[in-house]
Amino acid sequence: MSKLATWGRWSLILVLTLSAGWNLGQGLYIEAKARLAQLLLQQAWDETRQGVEKARPWAWADTWPVARLRQPRLDVDQIVLAGASGRTLAFGPGYLFGSAAPGSDGHSIISGHRDTHFGFLKDLQLGDRLEVTNSAGEVIQYAVYQREVMHENSLERLQVDDARLTLITCYPFDVIQPGTDQRYVVTARPVLM
Amino acid sequence: MNPSIANKPGVNSLLKDIAYTSVLSLITGVLAALGFAMLVMITSAPAQAELQPGDKTAVDQLPRMSIDQVQQGSLLLKLASGGVSVDAPLLHTDVSMRVSGMVNRVQVTQQFHNPGDEWVEGTYVFPLPENSAVDHLKMRIGERIIEGEIKEKGEAKKIYNQAKREGKRASLLSQQRPNIFTTAVANIGPGEKVEVIIEYQQVLHYDVGRFSLRFPMVVAPRYIPGRVIEQEEVTAFSGNGWAQNTDQVPDAAEITPPVVDPTEPKVNPVTMEIRLDAGFPLAHIESRFHPVTIENHTDGYHLIRLEPGVPADRDFELIWTPQIDQMPKGALFNEQWQGDDYSLLMIMPPATDQISPITQPREVIFVVDTSGSMHGTSLAQAKSALSMALSRLKPNERFNVIQFNSNTHALFGQAVPASPKNLRKARGYVNLLEADGGTEMLSALRRALTGEQDESVLRQVVFLTDGSVGNEEKLFSTIQQRLGSSRLFTVGIGSAPNSFFMTRAANFGRGSFTYIGDVAEVKQKMSELFSKLESPVLTDIQVAWPEGAEVEMWPARIPDLYLGEPVVLAAKLPKGGTSVEITGRINGQQWQQQVKLAGGAKHEGVRVIWARRKIADLMDRKAQGEPESEIRPAVLAVALKHHLVSRYTSLVAVDKTPVRPVEENLQTKPLPTNLPQGWSAKKVFGSMPQTATPAPLHLLLGLFSLLGSLLLGWSKKVLGKRTDHSIPVKSAMEA
Repeated sequence: MSKLATWGRWSLILVLTLSAGWNLGQGLYIEAKARLAQLLLQQAWDETRQGVEKARPWAWADTWPVARLRQPRLDVDQIVLAGASGRTLAFGPGYLFGSAAPGSDGHSIISGHRDTHFGFLKDLQLGDRLEVTNSAGEVIQYAVYQREVMHENSLERLQVDDARLTLITCYPFDVIQPGTDQRYVVTARPVLM
Repeated sequence: MNPSIANKPGVNSLLKDIAYTSVLSLITGVLAALGFAMLVMITSAPAQAELQPGDKTAVDQLPRMSIDQVQQGSLLLKLASGGVSVDAPLLHTDVSMRVSGMVNRVQVTQQFHNPGDEWVEGTYVFPLPENSAVDHLKMRIGERIIEGEIKEKGEAKKIYNQAKREGKRASLLSQQRPNIFTTAVANIGPGEKVEVIIEYQQVLHYDVGRFSLRFPMVVAPRYIPGRVIEQEEVTAFSGNGWAQNTDQVPDAAEITPPVVDPTEPKVNPVTMEIRLDAGFPLAHIESRFHPVTIENHTDGYHLIRLEPGVPADRDFELIWTPQIDQMPKGALFNEQWQGDDYSLLMIMPPATDQISPITQPREVIFVVDTSGSMHGTSLAQAKSALSMALSRLKPNERFNVIQFNSNTHALFGQAVPASPKNLRKARGYVNLLEADGGTEMLSALRRALTGEQDESVLRQVVFLTDGSVGNEEKLFSTIQQRLGSSRLFTVGIGSAPNSFFMTRAANFGRGSFTYIGDVAEVKQKMSELFSKLESPVLTDIQVAWPEGAEVEMWPARIPDLYLGEPVVLAAKLPKGGTSVEITGRINGQQWQQQVKLAGGAKHEGVRVIWARRKIADLMDRKAQGEPESEIRPAVLAVALKHHLVSRYTSLVAVDKTPVRPVEENLQTKPLPTNLPQGWSAKKVFGSMPQTATPAPLHLLLGLFSLLGSLLLGWSKKVLGKRTDHSIPVKSAMEA
């Protein structure tokens, strides 16, 4: 009798289940990679702290740890990587090569994924502390003093040379579509404690 | 029972099944869509409200004029270099060339049309071939033609500015680089058209049996290294570019015209006609990158026309090859001017097939530009060229691969043997190259050129780049200082390479240059380059003039020649025919040739070519460190005498009568240019890193798919029960 309908229904169920499996897999893979990588990076960071230059976390890596970023209130503790290419950002926040090295007294720019590492930027309040440890073990404390939304092309607004830390992620937060040309930019200045 | 009635319940149940399935799918779909929309709305709203009033929100991202602020009816163009261009003059370029032998006389007509209702001054930054001797400027308004005059650069600007203030029509042609020029046209009335006609002469390039004519059409966005310096004053000539002047590129604003966003239609159409009189029968004529029509005429010349509708967004290249038995061995052009004889001479060295190949061990260093301007097709060309070059290396040769963008990175600490293992590693490295970031070429040159003097090894540096930098002179002096016994070969990549950088860098590096404009060209061009690298070089080239003759020859020193390259020189000599002897050394063997300087073709403009070569030689000496106080007067003297535009001289044309009413203002508007074909605006003008992942999208889609599949499964159960019910009914009826 209703062979056609049964067949159609089953194939629909099959397609939906497959799609569910693939999509959940993809989504979870991104999350898992982001979390797992930070664990693997810990070891490379320890080596960096012991003076190894460009300690690669795994043999084929094209990036290396440069600093550690902490935010106590939100319980954030991340290893910052060199470079901000898509490949690097999948594993951790990355510092932009054109900017000063994190933990130096120049202007360091770090960007991270909105959906993983830098999701915490939306919860940062004015005055919140950010702690950057450089490879020499020196710790610099910063305080958040400005949060803005910028267009991705307005690079000239980041060309400031004084000592500061700029964190960048995509904006708006908590939306589904990955493509956006807006950026949420948090600026922090060094403080004594 | 009647079988037709007995069948009915079956049909009914099928229809019901279909109906149920459809309704359920519909409901699932609607619910999913609603859920999706709600999620998007709920989750995006709080994030936007997150910013507090105390925060500096940047809703208005463009400090310049935004689209909404502009009146209706204006001609608007979004610019990739930032901001919007409003009612800039429209430009149409018409090019007319006459090629005779190895000389090309060109007329470029730029028509400026003011579409707005204000009086404007238009400025247009455009490229010309790096060896063009620009000697004429005319301004045409309606039927009237005003001839331009050659003046010292500052004086020309003063004359132009005065005419501009007085409301007179005027135009000024100045040179920013040997291949970047600017025309400024003042007082173009509303709706008016003004034509600027520029003329130049050039020597064509002859190499490996092929003539080539390159006509650049767009100044590619240049990378400007260095620290920004304060601007003294903002004038029409300093405030137009998208880049700020820096300590390394003090004229950055003058060489960076605004660039139209790639989403806008292309601007600046070009038409072109070439009359080609090669002087010998041709085997082949080809336009490499543009569609053309070719008409062959019986009296030996060819008419080549560019198909209409071509935008100025990539170099035009025409190549032609003589028939095999007609290969030129030499050519001579003469001109008499003010009591002097001027000669342009080309001599082909003998074929090198009898000469033994090189025996020295070779070391080849590949340097590849992976800056943002190389993104896309350019990098694809470079990668393909590199992999081909790697496969040409022999096991006893050494090599290394260096890439540079904002930083320089070498694959190996130092050159390694071309063993299968090392080559495999290099191929992997080349495959993974990505283009992004700045063009800090200086550090790459310093890494590749060590200044070492070691004649026992033939050290060849192959430099693949588009040369899109603004600090050429600084780079030349670095090459000059650190070359040592190495040789530098430039390979110009992409649709609009910087020809001035390519040719002069190769000249300072005692190597040669190659252009690759298309992936399809890589194989041929790279194998030609490798033949040059693997063949002995003709060195110590001397030209012996007769005793006592006062001869001024340019270039003063003939550069070393690689396989397939001719000796080209321009000389001024006292009246009367004479003969010269050219000698050189090739792989230890002596080469010499006697040339009679009589019977050459009379050709107008040879003296201009001579003067242009003299200026080029003088400017090279400046890059080598000679003080400007000595170079400038020498360039001025020759440029003024021969009516040539140079670093220190400009052409200016002024109409006599004022046309702009005093009460009307004059707006200065730079003409936007296209982004070169195949370039990515984002990679050149920069943007912040992409920091959104598709993870939430995937998770959401996954959840909804799961929900849908569960719902359908559940509905099957329900439907299944209903179908079960229908069967007993059916049987009951049958019973």
